[in-house]
Amino acid sequence: MAIAEAPALAGRREPVAIPARETLGHRITRHWADYLYVLPALLVMLIVIGYPLIYTVWLSFHATPPRTGEWVFNGTQNYQDILSGPRFWRVTMNTIYWTVGSTLFAFILGLGAALALHNPFRGRGVVRALLLIPWVVSAVAAAYVWRWILHSDYGLVTGMLKSWGVIDRPLILLDSKSYVMPTLIAVNVWKEFPFVMVMLTAGLQTVPEGLLRAARIDGASTWNQFWHVTVPHLRGVILITTLLLFVINLNSFTLVWLMTGGGPANASQLWITEIYNIAFRSLQFGMASAFSVILFIIMLALGYFYVKALTANAPRREG
Amino acid sequence: MTFYEPTRNPLIINRRRLMGFLTGAVAAGIVTKSEALAYLQDASEKTGVTAEEWNPETINALAGTREVDTEADLHALVPETTEGTIQYWNVGPTEPDPQITKDLYQEFQDTFARYYPNITLENQNVGYNDMLDKIRTAAAGGAAPDVAKMPILWGVEFAARGDTSEVTLEEFGWTAEQFWPGALKSVTWDGKLYGVPTNNETMAFIWNKQIFADAGLDPENAPATWDDVVAYSNQIKQETGKNGYGMVAKVNAGNTPFRFMPVMWAYGGSALDEAVDEPTYETTMINSPEGIAALQTYYDMYVRDASVPTAALTNTQTENQDLFIAGEIAMMISHPSEYVAMQGRAAAATGADKERADQIVANMAYGLIPEGPVRRAVVFGGSNAHIMSDAAHGAPVNRDAARALVAMLTGPEWSLKNNWTDSNPANLVGFETKWMKQRLEEIAFLEVTTAMLPYGIPFPVVPESPEVMNIIVPEMLQNALTETMTVEEAANDAADRINALIASR
Repeated sequence: MAIAEAPALAGRREPVAIPARETLGHRITRHWADYLYVLPALLVMLIVIGYPLIYTVWLSFHATPPRTGEWVFNGTQNYQDILSGPRFWRVTMNTIYWTVGSTLFAFILGLGAALALHNPFRGRGVVRALLLIPWVVSAVAAAYVWRWILHSDYGLVTGMLKSWGVIDRPLILLDSKSYVMPTLIAVNVWKEFPFVMVMLTAGLQTVPEGLLRAARIDGASTWNQFWHVTVPHLRGVILITTLLLFVINLNSFTLVWLMTGGGPANASQLWITEIYNIAFRSLQFGMASAFSVILFIIMLALGYFYVKALTANAPRREG
Repeated sequence: MTFYEPTRNPLIINRRRLMGFLTGAVAAGIVTKSEALAYLQDASEKTGVTAEEWNPETINALAGTREVDTEADLHALVPETTEGTIQYWNVGPTEPDPQITKDLYQEFQDTFARYYPNITLENQNVGYNDMLDKIRTAAAGGAAPDVAKMPILWGVEFAARGDTSEVTLEEFGWTAEQFWPGALKSVTWDGKLYGVPTNNETMAFIWNKQIFADAGLDPENAPATWDDVVAYSNQIKQETGKNGYGMVAKVNAGNTPFRFMPVMWAYGGSALDEAVDEPTYETTMINSPEGIAALQTYYDMYVRDASVPTAALTNTQTENQDLFIAGEIAMMISHPSEYVAMQGRAAAATGADKERADQIVANMAYGLIPEGPVRRAVVFGGSNAHIMSDAAHGAPVNRDAARALVAMLTGPEWSLKNNWTDSNPANLVGFETKWMKQRLEEIAFLEVTTAMLPYGIPFPVVPESPEVMNIIVPEMLQNALTETMTVEEAANDAADRINALIASR
């Protein structure tokens, strides 16, 4: 192991051993048995992740006429067609609207629920369990039930509001270009907020009670305790939760697909549903692959930040 | 195998007899005088279904005139000892379907197992709106089944890509005379045959007589023209608060083109040029003045009058059924099976709901689909059985077992029984069997949907058809109905997309 001169610490000048960086080859040689154990898993990952990835990237540089199914190399034409078309940007705006809206409101609701349920009260466990139901319900079942609840003509909401005399015409939500996205976001928030609640509940339990007590003794208001003590402790959990939620929402398919299919008039078309349309309805696999690669790059960037956030405070393990 | 020569020819009626029949039909309210004349003048050249040959009288006379022995015929074609496993995908019955449909579906599988005890039939019932995506993906990945029964619209796309095998009618024991020419056209690509028709049908116009009466309309007669449908729909909305016409405009739902294209054709427009006598499929007429006029009727009903379900943009015919049995819509286009389906729903209802549903079933009426300024039209629908290619299947297809299955599916007995309430046997010998006689006795309104057959127009027989009909046409409707575009812009946008598709051939 290399020996280096360490910076002066508390006035003492003693040589400190700093581990030199090992190359991957050295590490494999030194820990060959460990790597042998994980080799099957690595091979499986290579097959189920690596191969489709390379295949998709390669396919994205080809035109694949639906009529013949042939592959014709066309360079970056698919990328140019996607990025120069107005539809891509419209779908991108929808996706940003959906992702930011869902993540933001799910976080706010989840945080509120976590804070409300943090202090003990009678029946807290039951309330927590009830609030978890949307998270554990299958997305397919949730989509169909919500579609029925919100159906413009015979939906539960329209029926109830009509019978109460609140409205005299159907409430148009999923069939309205203006209201479809807020409606879908509301359903998604209902589905996702328990996840935030669980994550933040766990985080809240790590906030030192002593610090909060000290803040109270120093005269800090409830808001100041929350803002200056609780939030800094939750920062890591918040970052990871929102990043994870952001990525999940960016990849959303089930709810939107089953409730609206991207309609009406593409008003709720997202990246993933658009890719599905291009691939399996228009049979342009090359174009769909290019779209997927663009999305993959964006996800990769987000993944980088996610991993960075995850490992920010973790001590580096060597050897 | 027994060679079945269809015996319908002796029943071709002469002009005088046909006029006599039509006079009766006019009196019965099935057709109007102008429609009766149209029968004589406009026997469809596109489907080969002529009114002289195919009308309620001839169909009734044919039924029950021939005995068939399916088991013996099949074994003469493919030996009983044939072995193997065969995967078969099809759009089978769903929960709302009549019980008899479900029973016969199971009986088909049981009977095949009895006829061929050494062939394992792996039957997969796939939802109508999922089947196309699923089988496309499977074929692209070499995981398609050995045999698939697909709606008439899809076959050519698979044939053009080499996903289905070339076949001959003779290898199943059939001749071309046993099928309507329009049906055979739907399985023909580049002059070769890639499937065998299993069933063919046309829809009819259905209305609720009670709502008509409540709205001050004549409950005994369907609207004569599409302009009348718009006016009736609005009057019903104004007078009763209920929805007039059961519009369907969902994207990628087969129900949408089946209900919109008859309007488009009636006004003289078309997606390509499928409605003209000699279609080339090289040009689009969707944004012609006639096509725009057709789209305008939908706009008028949905936007201007708000006289149709507001959820039309996400509704399929299944939702229309719910609305119809709840007495919330007055008119719709559908199969003869709709009556049986409504009876089933009424039987499943309880209390006040049942009373209302029973009344609605009692007030159901069937008539010809209204005509437009140019013609009366309906989609010539149906399904075909295809043997997939080895490449699409991902392994050699068990051809003998596949032949046995396809021969059974397309034979006189099962091409009829498998489509008991909602279609007609594609194998015309099926019309001569005792089961056809039974159907005619049991299924109400079958004669009306049959009377629509001569007005049938097939979807364009090109590989691009599914995308045009399932994506571009419904998106055009949505663009216009949500006012994302004007009616004209929506039609032009659709035309541009169709032209781009044609150019990419």
